[in-house]
Amino acid sequence: MVRIGFEIHVQLKTRSKLFCSCPTNFLEAEPNTNICPICTAQPGSKPDGINEEVIRKAVLVALALNCKILDRPLRFMRKHYFYPDLPSNYQRTSEPFAVEGELNGVRIREIHIEEDPGRYELREGIVDYNRSGVPLIEIVTEPDMTTVEEARDFLKHLRAVLDYLDVILYPEIGFRVDANVSIEGGERVEVKNINSIHGVVRALKYEIARHKRMLAMGKKIVRETRHWDEVRGVTVSLREKETAEDYRYMPDPDIPPYSIDSTLVEELRTKMPELPHQKRDRLIRDYGIDESAAWTFVLDKELGDLFESLAKQFGVKNAVAFCLNLRGELNYRDKYLAEIPRRERLTKLAELYFGGDITKPVYVEYLRKILDDPEFVPIAQEQLSDDELRTIAREIIAANPQAISDYKNGEKKAVNFLVGQIVARTKGRADPKKAIQILREELQRL
Amino acid sequence: MPMIEETLERIRNGEITPSEHLEEKIEILERRDPELNAFITKTLDIAREQARQIDGVVREGGGEAFYGLVWGIKDNFALKGVRMTCGSKMLENYVPPYTATPVEKILSNHGIILGKLNMDEFACGSSGETSYFGPTKNARNPEYVPGGSSSGAGAAVAAGMVDLALGSDTGGSIRNPASFNGVVGLKPTYGLVSRYGLADLAMSLDVPGPLAPDAYGIALAMDVLQGYDPRDRVSAKRKLPFLRSVDSFDPERVRIGISESLLSGVDPAVRRTTEHVVNFFESKGSEIVEVDLPDIWVAFPTYYLVMYPEFASAMQKFDGIKFGHRVDADTLYDTVARSREEGFGKEIKRRIIMGTFISMAKNAEWYKLALRARTTLLQMFQNAFRKVDIIVSPTVPTPPFKLGERVNDPVKMYMADALTVPANLTGIPAISFPAGWKDDLPIGVQLMGPRFTDHVLVSAVRFFEKEGSQWSE
Repeated sequence: MVRIGFEIHVQLKTRSKLFCSCPTNFLEAEPNTNICPICTAQPGSKPDGINEEVIRKAVLVALALNCKILDRPLRFMRKHYFYPDLPSNYQRTSEPFAVEGELNGVRIREIHIEEDPGRYELREGIVDYNRSGVPLIEIVTEPDMTTVEEARDFLKHLRAVLDYLDVILYPEIGFRVDANVSIEGGERVEVKNINSIHGVVRALKYEIARHKRMLAMGKKIVRETRHWDEVRGVTVSLREKETAEDYRYMPDPDIPPYSIDSTLVEELRTKMPELPHQKRDRLIRDYGIDESAAWTFVLDKELGDLFESLAKQFGVKNAVAFCLNLRGELNYRDKYLAEIPRRERLTKLAELYFGGDITKPVYVEYLRKILDDPEFVPIAQEQLSDDELRTIAREIIAANPQAISDYKNGEKKAVNFLVGQIVARTKGRADPKKAIQILREELQRL
Repeated sequence: MPMIEETLERIRNGEITPSEHLEEKIEILERRDPELNAFITKTLDIAREQARQIDGVVREGGGEAFYGLVWGIKDNFALKGVRMTCGSKMLENYVPPYTATPVEKILSNHGIILGKLNMDEFACGSSGETSYFGPTKNARNPEYVPGGSSSGAGAAVAAGMVDLALGSDTGGSIRNPASFNGVVGLKPTYGLVSRYGLADLAMSLDVPGPLAPDAYGIALAMDVLQGYDPRDRVSAKRKLPFLRSVDSFDPERVRIGISESLLSGVDPAVRRTTEHVVNFFESKGSEIVEVDLPDIWVAFPTYYLVMYPEFASAMQKFDGIKFGHRVDADTLYDTVARSREEGFGKEIKRRIIMGTFISMAKNAEWYKLALRARTTLLQMFQNAFRKVDIIVSPTVPTPPFKLGERVNDPVKMYMADALTVPANLTGIPAISFPAGWKDDLPIGVQLMGPRFTDHVLVSAVRFFEKEGSQWSE
């Protein structure tokens, strides 16, 4: 039997860093501009107090995952290791503040708070400390998942919960995952630093196959840490690092233990926004759609919101079709709707399509353009009149004598070819059904 | 060594301008420092510019607490734009981009900063001999050590190169050089003075504090230095009435504690000096109480179990990559290893190795044990302070020793801290003041009190200065 567990690192959406007031927008800022003596660990600097906004967001997540919030004072520990991205060569990481949660049938073991290190570009030898001190939570599950599908479903559900709580700093980054995998007869292997749900699925498939192959060959699977190589699609052993590791954990003397206020916990509990499973039930109840479609929409928060607004404007049936289609296109691109800029363009597209201003091929083409080109704006295109279409059909017939002779010889596929020519020539301004009708009329006149 | 009150008065009544006063100090500095080596970096230009500005303010009848008194700053406090070496090759060229809170307070209260003072490397030492910039000499007799680790602070105040000095105390680093140079040094209650900008030695023990020629100087300095700082989360939301109560010591209302466990094994002259102080307070009407400190032996081993691991953690950041001395090598590992090999002195390496060993996962129980021992010690002192208000002890078990005498014998060197570390482990205030002399070398006596009675200790020393006399043999 396969057992899978996760450690999930989420960068929290807060204005400032965990222990100083530098902004967290490390992606947009010029390298090494969001820094101060504290997050660069200048000799003599001390951490400011713990950012309250971090505590609020972290507790919110813990409550949404049905965790118990511990009422003992929370200590921050120093985890020592030498690395260029870590200014003090120790990382501050809290003890668990929440335990014994559950999501999607998977038990949550604990959640704690950490600071992110800077970014180190090994090849260029460049370090950017803008990210140093950005708050993270680490969510640790029990090894309760037994298939890759279960693992994927759990992560998708978790991602949705985090999106509903609006706590992820950068939706396009999402979260980083360390996966623990073991199969019966072998030791537990940890695969580190997987950056997407899609990556987790690939890494798990690779790793499970590797374990099975090893066991089949009579080899032992040793307890080790491996690194997921996204580009090559393989895991690589980091074992030598693991055996030497002793982080010398010690409570940070500069940070007094933090007591999480029980009234804050209660306040957050009452302010909890609608969560994915609640929204799913509501969509089924209010719109009468089936459970599978409802869950599909709900798992992508923006998509669920879009569905509701489209259902009100264009009816449930149209909205379901539009959103399922959109979900398919997003899956193909491995993206969440939130990663698509200027999403009002999709509502505009729905207006054009359901208002009959564009044809289905144009709608499909526009949809893809919206997803791939942030500059593209859908506009209504005048459809060709029957007369214009007939003129074009005649021209196409005259220009393709081979296809015409094929047609005459009973080759019915020749019609499809000619329709394709018309569609291409008219750049989608022709309604395909009408084009076929007119083409057939013209062919019969020959 | 003119008394602080007099100097302050001369400046305030216009007898001397801050600039003229500064030039007097610079003259002494130029005469004495080549021999004493109390300064690592002199900031004469900054000081003169500051003095010119304060001249104007004072002329207009204004001025903040220090009115141009001249300060030296131990070189483990950050002053923006001026290098901070911590007495180490590792930070020989490190220039901090910010200013420490205590230094900011000195500047904004019209203290003139004459320079950054020599110290044992990263404040690790009790003799001033481990500095990469060479040993400081005792201001009373240059053949002797000045004590440490605030060695430059002790010597500079004693020689009159500065009026006041800012030091730091982790296990005795203010009181020890105060004792050896014959000046007053206060280790405040932990958290009373912000540590922001003080380079770490052991974070749960470190506290900044002043050295001065007299108790008045300490009170003047502490009124400015104390107070809550949001940038140091262990700092206390307390303010004590230092100057306001400096002359209100009433010996008849104070119970003085003595303990044989703090006197056994100390040098006879040091013991006699301590007893002289106790006799003085008794003669003025204080009740003398013998207190029992049964667990005091725990302090010494506990100090090392706490200090070593915290120090090793603090030193972790010095890898040659982000700060400090760098030796480029082929691998990351070698770069870090060789930078640390070259950048750190022997005592630093000793402490890092010990601290790393103690904090390894397999030894995790030791640090926890030490934290429990600290609680035991605190309870023991709290019990004692139910019976007495002040405990009197020697500051250092011996008078100053000669340069080179102990530098290669760490255990003997560490013994100098035996009577000062309990105050750090328990966070209580302790002050050292000159109370006697042996062969023209000063002997300091230490007063300890409950947390946040720092001002009472200062007023007791002030009372001794006015009413008492120095022991001499």
